[in-house]
Amino acid sequence: MRQELGGRAAVAGVGMTALSRGSGRSELELAVEACRGALADAGVGTADAVLSYHMNDSVGAVQVARALRIEPVGWHNDISGGGTQCASILGDAAMLIASGVARTVLIYRAMNGRSGKRMNVASIGPQEAFTVPYGMAGPIPLFALAAQRYLYDTGLTEEHLHAVVAQSRDNAAGNPRALRREPLSLEDYLAAPFVSTPLRNVDCCQETDGACALVVTGVSRAPDAPRIHTVVRGGGSGCSTMDVADDVTRIFSGYVAPRLWDESGMSPGQVDVPVLYDAYSWLVPRQLADFGLAEPGDIGDYLLKRAHARVNPHGGLLSEGYVHGLNNVAQAVRELRRAGGVALVTGFGGSYGSAALIERS
Amino acid sequence: MSPYAPYWEACRRGELVIQTCTACAHRIHLPAADCPRCGSTALTWASVLGHGTVHTFTVVHRSFVASHRGREPYTLAWVDLPEGVRVFGSVVGCAPEDVRIGLPVTLTFEDDLPVWRPA
Repeated sequence: MRQELGGRAAVAGVGMTALSRGSGRSELELAVEACRGALADAGVGTADAVLSYHMNDSVGAVQVARALRIEPVGWHNDISGGGTQCASILGDAAMLIASGVARTVLIYRAMNGRSGKRMNVASIGPQEAFTVPYGMAGPIPLFALAAQRYLYDTGLTEEHLHAVVAQSRDNAAGNPRALRREPLSLEDYLAAPFVSTPLRNVDCCQETDGACALVVTGVSRAPDAPRIHTVVRGGGSGCSTMDVADDVTRIFSGYVAPRLWDESGMSPGQVDVPVLYDAYSWLVPRQLADFGLAEPGDIGDYLLKRAHARVNPHGGLLSEGYVHGLNNVAQAVRELRRAGGVALVTGFGGSYGSAALIERS
Repeated sequence: MSPYAPYWEACRRGELVIQTCTACAHRIHLPAADCPRCGSTALTWASVLGHGTVHTFTVVHRSFVASHRGREPYTLAWVDLPEGVRVFGSVVGCAPEDVRIGLPVTLTFEDDLPVWRPA
């Protein structure tokens, strides 16, 4: 354990609402349902700290704490950000536990991502002054520009992107929560409409209404629960800074993966459950290579052989739904409860993001 | 004043300008108030030659900018300039399917915006 937070906190509870494209409910109602589910699942009664992350599209921690009768509340925070936060928020919680600031931390993400405020027009930063006049806004064309160059640099093709999406659909087939469960043939993939080349609509995750919550507590309170081993967060120049980046295809994993292995003392071969942030299909091979889970030179064959079948066993953000990655973390916990082992969870925000290793022996 | 103002003024004259740091000779774009490399605020503006190479591109089939809905498909690109900077713009004057990474392009203007056409 090279990080002082490592091995001190465990994910004791998971809660989720149904995922839909039209919840008909407020973000507060969604958050409260998911939080109650997680608290009941954890069996720890209540929490003294509440954390969330959002992009001004949700309900704040104070309101959720009050609705849950967590009064007075201890440490509580609304963290600004989206998918980049879904792994590192485990670190925020573990730091509160390891330092003695909190005993039990409730984490949630609640959004009406389809029927309410949609991510496809979310700001991509100051460069928008130069891109919007040309008709570019939101994350999809930004990450399409990176994807185009990624395919060019690696020699991967639409056949490989199909393998990512089709495997996601196959993995989701047995997941009743998933918004997309039907098989996706290569023919159907190629017939799907482009949003922004090379990304078709099926290369992008499901815009989703729903909420997910986790309960993190000290390992003495939840001795059998999956433990937070190592969490890293960082980033730098890359697809978020295409004006100056040497490599416009570089994503967060290029920065955080070496630190994850260094600070954990673990190696890629020890990962049993890779749960990768798959907001776009091409992020899967890019992360497999960056985290050392597949050889970069072999990634095309790897995908066509479906060697990535173990990635995102629930279908991920591409098929289950998109609760800004927290639903991926929930699945990692479910997998470790079932079979034990080590799970890798990741959070993407362009060339900034986070990753965490959680384990249960 | 916004560091962007001289850039947009030049566009209205039909010029694409970038900054050069007088302290370390670093070329700067997107426009900045100080040099990202050395921090100097002594920056000058100069026009580029007007040719470049497509670094990456995307053909937008579904726009998320209201003013551009109904104008799809259109092509957006980052273009590498021999001056040592990368600029954003659209590629015009050819079919979207003819745009490639590495395509040589030449500067032109549409509605006071610098855009690129195949060289």
